[in-house]
Amino acid sequence: MKKLIVSLFFAGLWFQSKAQNNYDVSKIPEALTKNAVAVIRNEELFFDFKGVGSGEEEYKVAITILNKAGDDLAEMAEVYDKFSSINNIKATIYDAAGKKIKDYKSADIKDQSLISDFSIFEDNRLKILKFYHINYPYTIEYSYSRNYKGILNFPSWHAIKGYNIATEKSTYTFQKNAGLNVKYLSSANLKIDSTKIGDKTQYKWTCNNLPVIEREPYSIGLDNITDWVKVSPTQFEYDNTTGSFDNWKNFGAWIYKLNENGNVLPVTTKALVQNLIKDAKTQKDKVSILYHHLQQNTRYVSVQLGIGGFKPILAEKVAQVNYGDCKALSNYMKALLFEAGIKSNLIVIGNGMPSMNPKYSSMGQANHMILCVPLEKDTTFLECTSQYNPMGFIGYDNADRNVLMITEDGGKIIHTPAYNAKDNFQNRKTKINFKDDGVAEIGIKSIYGNAQFEDNMSMLLIEPVEQRKKINEDNGIPGAELIAFKFEQADKTLPIMTEDISFKSNQLLTKGADKIFLTLNLMNRKESVPAKIENRKTYFAVGFGYQDDDEITYNLPKGYAVEFLPKDISITSEFGTYTAKFVAKDNLITYSRTQVMNAKKFPPEKYNEFVDFNKKIFQADKQKAVLTKAP
Amino acid sequence: MKIKTLFLLVGITVSHLFSYAQKKEFKFGKIAPEEFQTKATGKDSAAAAIKLFDIGNCYFEYSENTGFKYVYQRHIRYKVLTKAGYDLANYKIGLYKSSGSSKEDLNGMEAATYNMVDGKMVISKITKDAKFTEEFNKNYTYKKFTLPNVKEGSILEFKYTIKSDFIFTLRGWSFQSDIPTLYSEYNVKIPEYFMYKTNFGGYIQVNRTKHETINATYVPSISSTATHDQYVLENVPALKDEAFITTIDDYIPSIEFELQGTRFPNEMYKDFNGTWPKIVKELADDENFGLFINKNSYAKSVLPTILKGEKDTLAMTKLIYDYVKSNIKWNEERGRYASGTNPKLVFEKKAGSSADINLCLVSLLREAQIDAHPLLVSTRDNGIHPGYPMISKFNNVLAHVVIANKNVLLDATDKDMQFGMIAFDNLNHEGLSIDLKSIQSAWIATEPTFASEKIFNYSLALDKENKLTGTITQYTKGYAALKLRDKYRTTNNETEFLKDFKKDKTGLELTNYKMGNLDNLDELLTETMNVVIEDNVEEAGNLVYFTPLLFEKTKENPFKHEERLFPVDFAYPIKENYRITVSFPEDYEVEKLPKSNLYKIPDNSGTFSITFFSQGKTLMVKSVIDINKTFYTPEEYFNLKELFKAIVEKQAEQIVFKKKA
Repeated sequence: MKKLIVSLFFAGLWFQSKAQNNYDVSKIPEALTKNAVAVIRNEELFFDFKGVGSGEEEYKVAITILNKAGDDLAEMAEVYDKFSSINNIKATIYDAAGKKIKDYKSADIKDQSLISDFSIFEDNRLKILKFYHINYPYTIEYSYSRNYKGILNFPSWHAIKGYNIATEKSTYTFQKNAGLNVKYLSSANLKIDSTKIGDKTQYKWTCNNLPVIEREPYSIGLDNITDWVKVSPTQFEYDNTTGSFDNWKNFGAWIYKLNENGNVLPVTTKALVQNLIKDAKTQKDKVSILYHHLQQNTRYVSVQLGIGGFKPILAEKVAQVNYGDCKALSNYMKALLFEAGIKSNLIVIGNGMPSMNPKYSSMGQANHMILCVPLEKDTTFLECTSQYNPMGFIGYDNADRNVLMITEDGGKIIHTPAYNAKDNFQNRKTKINFKDDGVAEIGIKSIYGNAQFEDNMSMLLIEPVEQRKKINEDNGIPGAELIAFKFEQADKTLPIMTEDISFKSNQLLTKGADKIFLTLNLMNRKESVPAKIENRKTYFAVGFGYQDDDEITYNLPKGYAVEFLPKDISITSEFGTYTAKFVAKDNLITYSRTQVMNAKKFPPEKYNEFVDFNKKIFQADKQKAVLTKAP
Repeated sequence: MKIKTLFLLVGITVSHLFSYAQKKEFKFGKIAPEEFQTKATGKDSAAAAIKLFDIGNCYFEYSENTGFKYVYQRHIRYKVLTKAGYDLANYKIGLYKSSGSSKEDLNGMEAATYNMVDGKMVISKITKDAKFTEEFNKNYTYKKFTLPNVKEGSILEFKYTIKSDFIFTLRGWSFQSDIPTLYSEYNVKIPEYFMYKTNFGGYIQVNRTKHETINATYVPSISSTATHDQYVLENVPALKDEAFITTIDDYIPSIEFELQGTRFPNEMYKDFNGTWPKIVKELADDENFGLFINKNSYAKSVLPTILKGEKDTLAMTKLIYDYVKSNIKWNEERGRYASGTNPKLVFEKKAGSSADINLCLVSLLREAQIDAHPLLVSTRDNGIHPGYPMISKFNNVLAHVVIANKNVLLDATDKDMQFGMIAFDNLNHEGLSIDLKSIQSAWIATEPTFASEKIFNYSLALDKENKLTGTITQYTKGYAALKLRDKYRTTNNETEFLKDFKKDKTGLELTNYKMGNLDNLDELLTETMNVVIEDNVEEAGNLVYFTPLLFEKTKENPFKHEERLFPVDFAYPIKENYRITVSFPEDYEVEKLPKSNLYKIPDNSGTFSITFFSQGKTLMVKSVIDINKTFYTPEEYFNLKELFKAIVEKQAEQIVFKKKA
């Protein structure tokens, strides 16, 4: 939805003319083909860092596609832009025996624009070639060189390219001329081979014969269990600017400088600000008024061209057109606040990305910008691209991570607020009244907070016709007929919304012989349990922590008696807690359930316990009451 | 079957009185104050925006160098009602250029936002830096625009002109979109030299409000008469998508144009595609179609090894079909023309488009003296073909073979497709078979010869720990088998496949899984396994109960909506047959079984039956769903909905055992 940094996809390998070309599939070690969709036979990435802002990359790769599931890897898709060009593309396809089927011609390679779906315009382009072959296995091979006139970041390297892809051999060679400085960050045990060739220095990382890692549910990724390296320049030159990645302080200073004199407002806007805040009592009131003004009067439009991928459009310009991307709108909001006498700081952030590494400053760790307003008692963060967020609510993808605050003294790593399980709540009270003919009138009132508010917020924004469709599609209540519904965010300043829905159904009670069964958890059941995994490899976590509280009261039809009611259930574990209580009194059954899930990361060996925890919830959620009807 | 007559109100009515058109002035920048008061009404009262008007003009120009081109002008005005309507401020225009010199140009774009501020209208014109050109690839360019100062209540306006060298198909017009439209008008002025075919589509009738002869001047020296047709639709509600349809485009009121012929002064009438014979002749002479099929060097060289002396037509056809589909990989591109001029090259490349593959197939079949023809179709997402001579509405080609007076349709784009099966996308009811020799064509039905069929056989024993142990056998046929084969092959390995199989079947543990007939397409795809099922039989006091449909229970009604505007089009019939036998412990008793029952849609086009039966310590339940029509009218939708309501209810009924004390 928004973007700060023009993504620089790097992958590149060096073509060695002597490299052997025997792609006979029978030569792949058996350990590598096990559970693999494809094997990287040989990958060579060579980067020649020639001068600040100039370099050349040579890439060559051969991939054997073992089965239809690997077809997606039979593709070359390389990105370039104004500051890089791709040349000398060669591509060949081989059969299982390693016999050449054909060489591709330059006419086979398509050239097309590459614009993110959230942007109206960007300058990225793509060279793309898709390989097709009917029989498996087959091997594809391609190579190219890429030239840089302006460098912010170097290619990174991963020994394992993805789940179910083995690597027979892969090498990254990085060469730099004398006087140039680079830094790198790598996985814990990766060895570096460093040599001097004349006045040049070469670093080399390599891996051999790595079997696949299989896709595992709830996985947080491969980075903490496989080898990788990231390389970054310390000084950079790009689109007529220069800067430094020595540390976050200096990088922040570069951003600050890009932004200098960028927050001058036109006289009319200044007057407007003064008029808007004239009756405001506190600083917080002023922030609130101006944020509301921003949300009512601007919209998100993304254009990313060269340095424009980092440098905000002038506040003056935004005042004229009332649109901009995350940088433009954050900077404009900063200017509005400044006019009101309130200091604020731009925040460079990785939206939905891992936390920024405080010890390794480089490009590629962020993709977004928000604004931080340090008020006396509490610091407020503003997501300036949203027309709907309550003030201070920055959403789950911005929360709880290291970010870079831009100050006049340079950059500073700070941490955004976290939403914990209790904050991300769903509170639901349901009343079900059975009429004598067995038809149930169902009234459901729910309140959603924070991350769960974010999940459901779209319901506030769509037309009633669409709301109706969605409720009908998603409710999962057997035989439900929708009677009425209402979505509301009563206090627009809080990330809390209410949902009020009523249904009618004659299918809540299921028959079986002369008994009647009632599944007590109407709407919030765990419907499946993941399978256990022996020798799990990756760490795992649930998406976000949350707390669900449900209470359902059933007013049974006349003449029905409760023959059986399940026993109360309580489950506690480090993954979360769960309780279910069942109470029957006269012809009333009250069911209450709480579930709290923690968003921590857990090591692989804990996974089967996690499965057990889920299984207990699954079993608890399908508990039924048995009713009998008086003859 | 002429499907369109069932639901499309094709055609036009002529009317002359148009209140809106008469009182309204469509001038850029001239906004009446009351336009700011416009509100959405009725069902659309919460719409994100309203299209106040959308006016199009299409006429011709002439230049010495390039000859005739057509000019397309469009003028749109929107009122933004909520923030959800902001996207309308971003406007995108696609322009095409051919590999030759023919192209389309955008000539001018005027655009502005109007806001009412303190009772005064403030105009914000589009700025220079808000216009972008995206060179998408060598054929397509996108012009993009974004308007300033857009707020709730803003009026947005765009007016632009495109000049195009591609006069074979003119830009058409859609009278409806996802927001309500107050007024939509398209004017087409066609010089007497040109004749165009007009194709109307959609579920609302478009009015022709003008049909008159005018004078048209192309350059000072050249003028002629022209026909001015005007088409109008007023107060059109927002169009919302529905599930189980071919494409929403089939229901949008619209017009399309394709060149039929030209008659220039002192020249003979030139028929482009005015009649089917003319279209067929063109196709026959096309190097990427008829002539492609006729190039037989590859066929000649390879047929002896494929046929090995086989003489039976059906057997020969099968051998050739198998050869083509196992030697060329589909590159996921569709078209009606081959990308090259000779089948040989396609077989060398081992990959190609649907046209490359299926025209190769026709070429080989014909060389083998089999009565085979290319079959032009319009895929489901391309919409229904109007039926009259219009070549541009076809977007795919299959093979049509006549064996023993029977039509067999072949599509060699998927190795797993059975003989006689065509891909789901092609199930759009009709196709045009092209006889290249006699230069004739005929519509033939493309209704599927296969259903999507699943058969489940559970044979289990219940023990006192409420565990079910036994075997499951599943048979899959037709389109369901195609899907399952694809899933099996695109999954890394069997372990992964089984993980996925078990995913929504909590409590199921299986061993000894076997898939039979994976490569034997003519046989039932068979899965067998030994199973242990926990967590599905529950206890309450001295009662033990479970849902006998286990994992195959239809949990929800797929037809959830209270309204239906468009027909339901499943493409193929659906059959699901489930049978379970359970033996249970000595001291369990079945007191009373649920009632067996049969449910039917009035015309028998859909049935559901469920049978409960027990004898001694064995219980048997059988459930059969049979949806044997592919096409249901909006009225029949409610029958389907009721049928599925019964399915959900009956399949949820529990079997209850009483334990002996």
